[in-house]
Formats: sequence, structure tokens, C-alpha cells
Amino acid sequence: MLAGLGVGSASLLLAFGCGAPAKQVRLAPQVRNDVRTWLRDAVSRLVTVYPQVHVLAVSRKRTTAAIDILGTGVSRTRRDGVVFTVRDKSGMWREHATAELSRDGVQAAVRALAPGSIKPADLVFPEPPPATNDPVDVADDALRNRVGAIMRQDKSGSSRIVYAAAMIDIDDVTLWAIGPGMDREHQTRRVRERATRAAWSGSRPSVSEVERGWVGDVDDQRLSEEDVTTASLNAMLLMTPGAFEDGEQTIVLEPSVGATIIDAAVRGLLTSSAARRPEVIRRLALGAAVASPQLTVIDDPLAPHAYGGFPFDDEGEPSARVVLLDQGKVAGRLARARRPGHIGALAPTPSHLQLVGGTTKRRDLVGDGWLLEGKVGAVFDAASDRIVVAVARARELKGGGTTGRVYADIELVGELGPLLAGVTGVAEESETTVVREDIGGEPMWRSIQAPWLRARGMLRARRRAT
Amino acid sequence: MISRRNLVNALNARKVADWVVIERVQELAAIAEDRATQRTEERTRWTVVVHHDVPRGRGSAHLELTTRQGEAGDVVDQAISLASAAIGPAWTQAPAAAPAKVNVLDAALEKANLATVAAEIASTTKRPAGAQVQLGIELLRERVTVQAESGFQTSWLATAIRAEGLISVGDHSLDLSRDARRRQDLDLDGALDQAAADLALVATAGPAVLGPCAVMLRADALLHGGGLGVWSVFADHANAEAERQGLTRYRQSTAISPGADTLAEPLTITSNGALDFASRSAPVGDEGDAVRRFALIERGIATGLGITAREAARRKVDPNGGVRNLVIARGTWTETPAAGRTIEVRRLRSLSIDPYTGDASLEIGLAIDRQTNKPFTGGTLRLDLVAALAHARRSSAALRRGPYVGPAAVLFEDAELV
Repeated sequence: MLAGLGVGSASLLLAFGCGAPAKQVRLAPQVRNDVRTWLRDAVSRLVTVYPQVHVLAVSRKRTTAAIDILGTGVSRTRRDGVVFTVRDKSGMWREHATAELSRDGVQAAVRALAPGSIKPADLVFPEPPPATNDPVDVADDALRNRVGAIMRQDKSGSSRIVYAAAMIDIDDVTLWAIGPGMDREHQTRRVRERATRAAWSGSRPSVSEVERGWVGDVDDQRLSEEDVTTASLNAMLLMTPGAFEDGEQTIVLEPSVGATIIDAAVRGLLTSSAARRPEVIRRLALGAAVASPQLTVIDDPLAPHAYGGFPFDDEGEPSARVVLLDQGKVAGRLARARRPGHIGALAPTPSHLQLVGGTTKRRDLVGDGWLLEGKVGAVFDAASDRIVVAVARARELKGGGTTGRVYADIELVGELGPLLAGVTGVAEESETTVVREDIGGEPMWRSIQAPWLRARGMLRARRRAT
Repeated sequence: MISRRNLVNALNARKVADWVVIERVQELAAIAEDRATQRTEERTRWTVVVHHDVPRGRGSAHLELTTRQGEAGDVVDQAISLASAAIGPAWTQAPAAAPAKVNVLDAALEKANLATVAAEIASTTKRPAGAQVQLGIELLRERVTVQAESGFQTSWLATAIRAEGLISVGDHSLDLSRDARRRQDLDLDGALDQAAADLALVATAGPAVLGPCAVMLRADALLHGGGLGVWSVFADHANAEAERQGLTRYRQSTAISPGADTLAEPLTITSNGALDFASRSAPVGDEGDAVRRFALIERGIATGLGITAREAARRKVDPNGGVRNLVIARGTWTETPAAGRTIEVRRLRSLSIDPYTGDASLEIGLAIDRQTNKPFTGGTLRLDLVAALAHARRSSAALRRGPYVGPAAVLFEDAELV
């Protein structure tokens, strides 16, 4: 039912059809050095035709276990691909992508880029990186136990919850980046855990989710009892009757809401693609003060265990930390390119964004105003700087505490510049939000670490009172 | 190794109650001017739909496959396991019906080198004087084959073209996107000319003057974000499952809004998935069900829903392939402004629609106050979109773009700019 309402996790569960144990799809064996041999051979042939050549190959496995009121299910899918990138003598870049990560598939792709019989050049490649252990597949039974354990973390004990679900999503990625003088290989395991709770609030469902994601082993982190119980309590919050009064307010942004704003701002303004817009260039020249001096934003793909992190980009270049905003001033732009699922079209995209924490305790940010909780989404128009941030609820704050008045489905609207310039408090404590965005059927993994923020902004109800 | 034949053999060997296999063999070519890149891609995708019957009822599973690696038998076993986990009340699939007769192939692209065509479209597009344009063109050619347990099998060729661009004039820029099945329907030159004209107005635009007004929505505002734009609210409300659960705001056989059926020109909307060269047309739907033309709203009364195979069995009707292209009956309005203050909205910054209540927020990117003929930017329209569109005056001028066929503009006589 919730899938019909657009609840992501429920639709995921229905898509995978939760319930009985699923057999694991047997995968064809793939030897890493075989792949390396095919790719090196391809590069050796293509360099005889093109001055610049790069090949990126990916083998990706996704394992998803989910539990809801229907039962428990485990799904395993696989995606392979190779992207050949060459630059011809006129300076034009050409890419050819194929889903066939096999000797025949690689050879066919080479023929597509360079028809005819080509003898390989005598290239010397660097030593291959040392072999790493393949991530161990987690057995179906173990996954079912884990999602069951997430469900049992809920200590709210209320019968008002009408829908409950938990999910573990594991992406195992092996990447090879080969070119003249380049031989890189990396394996990453990204893990997400999510719990979803829903209860009726009047005539509408109230949905609350809690999510955590990391790079590492499945056991490295987990959703806590407090996380899951809080999700239930948030779903069951009784909303204040009557209409929310629109107006300019002092606001405290929960980290997931702040993360949504920072993510939209960086993607819309602080990438080399965004810099094609004259409005962006005019407003955001390097060194321009565009936000409160309390705000420093860094993109750090090398942050330990960051869900959005990676060791080298999809052009094979080692990743590096980029300071985007330094005490409110524009300090850099993202030019590094990533491909959705490592096989889609290149685009500059943030990896692990960090909004540096302040020195204020979280409790000291709370005065009078409204606490905005529960990210829903943000729409940002880079040309006009207009942002609309949808949040699940707003709680009234007075004298350093909540009054008990809560309104669902609120929007924070206005221009991004004044909103960021109006930040008057940044907490020490921060939380990380993870994003697994679907772009043309391929995933893009990102994460954003943000503290609690205090600012001023225009709040309004997203819909009429019902 | 995964292939359609192997999947079908595996499904037959395991005696699944009902199944559909959809295979899409795709070739893509794209050109991105901002990165000076040409891209080609070859891929095959399979959708396996399995309906598995057990004494308790029937379970269904959908699997999407993107790699040939693996064993068809294992895929089918996984689909059966997943279907077994989602057992619901028993139902039986309606007998296979004839696919819709529809043409979704640009004959000029049937055998063409797509990369060459993409480059040609980019190089021959007329760029407005004084404007900087960066285009991205993507072409898709696919052979779709649908095979079902009943013995039904059909196959067709389809093409799709997507153009995206960033156009800048002076200090201002606009995004544009167009989708079409045929190159001749893309009308990129017209889109760029209109964008350049609008950018010239943006440069002189002042702030919005708030207050009550009539609102004229022009094509680019009406279809903001591509696709169906504001009309998507009616596609959301035609979800049969949501309707059965009482989650839609109006019920079948009732007026979509009070008084909507007694207007001089009541609203009529038809879903037509069999419209030649429309972007959401197809002979057969995503579950192997034949695509049909049906009315969603007739003279202000809700009359039809997008019906899946399962929902069709529950309702004892035939499936119709779901809501696809929308054909909206035009009106007689000649695009003259209303009596009081009228604003003509050319572009939106954002459009958000609550799919259940139909409440919408339209952030204005560019509008013209027709009283003063001065352009402005900013301001928000908060509309009950179902009621507003039901009572809107629809222009007599026609517009066909992507999945939309209908009036080129609409007029809301009672709105407020906030």
C-alpha cells in the first residue's frame, strides 16, 4: 500500500517481493587478471590509433535484504560494463560503453572504435596493484537475521505503527582503470541499513525513516536501538490541528535537512558544469563571500569509511580533498568527473561532503523558533538562486525546548545566498546522510556530513490543511 | 549465459503459472558539447515477470537483468522464490490481446549511424544570434521483443531522441529539454528561439507584484520539467490501486471538482498509448498487456483508470497498458487576457505537486504582467491543481510535445500571486 504512496523502501520491498528465501544467482567466475589482460590488450591496440586512451571496467554486485509485514526477501543482481575513452587527433573525446565484460566483448568494443585489424603497440604497463581479498558474500540466512535484528531494535512498542520495514543494501564494486602508464584496481563494499515506520496521522500516512551507510564490512556499523525507536516515535507524532502560519522564522536545521541544502548548493553551484552559467560565475567567483563565515564545506572522497568516498575517479585520477567553501568564501569547484555506476556519462559530482562543525553545543542552538526535521527533498534553481526545501515536520521551539506543537509537510523557501549568509550557529555535533541516487538506471553514491545549523528563513505549509 | 531463449526455456522447464519476458536490445549514441564528447553504447536488458501459483493464491515478481553473465535457470529460480514470498489472492491473467497498432520508429534512423546523426543534429541546429548554446543530444534505437507463456510474441523497433541544452544570453541562462520519437518532431530550433526571446525578457524583468490575478500558463510553464508538467496530476489520480484504496481525491463516475461537469467547456482527457510517434507510445505495456486508448476524464467526470493485469483481474475488466500520452481536449479561448489583472507565465523555476491532494506550488521564473506589459520574475502560485485545471479556460491553439497533445495555453481566472 505504501508503495502506492511513493514510499521508497516499501516500493523496494515490493519490487523485490519480500518473503521466502531466495536462491543466490550463480555468477560466472571472473578472474581479475583475465580482465586486466583483456583491457591491457585493448589499450595497446587503441594507442596505435588514438593519442589518448583510457579504459574503465566495472563488475558490480548488489545484494538487498528486506523485511516488512509480508516477510523477508533477499535479492542479488549483477551489472558489468566497460567504458573505452579515446581522444582523437582533432581533440574530440569519444566513448564507447558495453555491458560485455568478457574477452569477446572487449574485442568487439575495440573494433567499434578502431575498425580493421590493428597490431598492438609495445606498451609497458606499471606493475598491477597487489591483489586484495574479494569481499565475502553474506549468506541469505545471515542477511535475513540481520534485517530481523533491525526490526527488533524498535522499543516503542506501539500498535499505532501500521507499516514497518527494514533493509540492508550492499553494493560490491570492483573497478579497473587501465591506460598507458596506468594500472589501477579497487574493490569497495558499500553498505546501507534503513528502517521505515509509518502510522496514520489523521487521514494521511506519516512516514519516518532512519538510514546509515558506510564503506567497509557489513558488521562495521549498524542502526542502533535509539535510531529505530526514534523512527517509530517520529512516525507516531500527533500533529497540531489547524493550519501552519507561513512567515519568516528563526530555524534550527536537523543535520539531514542541512545536508539536503548543502548537497543541492554544491551540485547546483560549485561544479565545473554549474560554472557554465553566467549567473553562477557572476555570483560565485573564487574568493567571493557567499555564506556565513561559520560555514566551511569540503568534498573529501578519501574520508575513512565514507559511503560516497572513492580512491580514484572514473578517469583513473587519484582522488583528492577539495575545499569548496572556506569560512563562507568560495575556495574551489568540483571538476573531477564520476560516472553513474562507473559506466554512465561523466559529470562532476560531489563524493563525501563535509560541512565543518562549529564550537557550539547542539542544545545551545535551540532558542525560540522552529526545528525542521526529516529531509524530503530540495529543488534548487541555480539561475535564480531560488531553493525550496521540503521537510517532514516543524516543531515549535521556545525558551530552549519544544512546546509540543508540530506541523507536518513544511517548506523552507527563499534564495540560497541569504539563507546561507544568515546562518548564525553551527553545532559541534554532526550526522552523516547517505544518498544512493538512481541516474538513468545506474547508482551514484554520495554522503554528506552536516551539523545542526541555526538560521533564518521563510517557512510555509506544503499543502492546505485537511 | 542469459538470453531470451534461455530464459524462456528455463521458465517452461519450471512450469511457472504465467510469465512474460521482455528483451530490449539497445544502441545509444550521444554527443555532449560541454565536454566535447561523443558516446556510443550497446546493451541488452531483460525484464522477467513471473506469476507463481500456490494453493494460497498467486505471487508475482519482476526482475530486471542487465548482464549476460549468469545462468537463466538461476534467474528463474530467484524469480519464483521472490514470487512465492509475495503471495496474495489468486487471480488469472486476461487472455493476450492484439498489440496496439502504433508506429514508434523514425524510418530515417532505422539503419543510420546514430553517432553521425547526433553530431549532425548538433551541428545543424540554428543557434539564436547573441546566444551561447551548449547542447547534449542522445539517440536510442531499440528492438523490443515480448514473449509470454500464452505463446504470445511480438517485436518492434523504436527510436527516441532526447535533447538537452543550456542557453545563455548576457548574464542569464535557461535549461531546455525536448523528447521525441522522430527527428522532425524535436523542433530544437524553435525551442532555442523561444528560450532566447525569454532570456531577453529576463534581463529586463522586475520583481513580482503580489496579489490576486488571473494566470495564463504558456507551453513551457504548462509542461515544466518535460513530460506532462501540470497535467501529471491527472495521471497520478488515475492509479487504479490508489483509487481502490480510496487514496485519490475524487472517485470514478463523479465530477473531478465541484461544478466541473456543468461548465461550458468541461475538461476531457484521454490516455492514448497508441498515438504514432508520441514518446510514451508502445504496442505492449511493461507487463506484456496490450496498450489501449481510454478516457480518464469525460466532460468533467472521472471515467477511467490505468489498469494493470492484476488490477484488471480484480475489477473483471481488460488491462489497458496504463496511463501513457495524454490528449487534452482543446477549448475555444483565443488567449485574450481576463478582465482584471492577468499575468502570463512563460517559465517556471520549479513545480511541485502533491499527487494525492493535487495541491501545487509553482515558482515563477518569468512572467509578463499583461496590464503593464512588463516582465517580472519571482513569486509563487499556490493552486489546487485539479480544481484549477478543471475550471481553466483552454486555448484553441494546439500543442504537441513529447507525451502531450492539447491546448497550447490555459487561463486560471482566479489565482493569487504570493
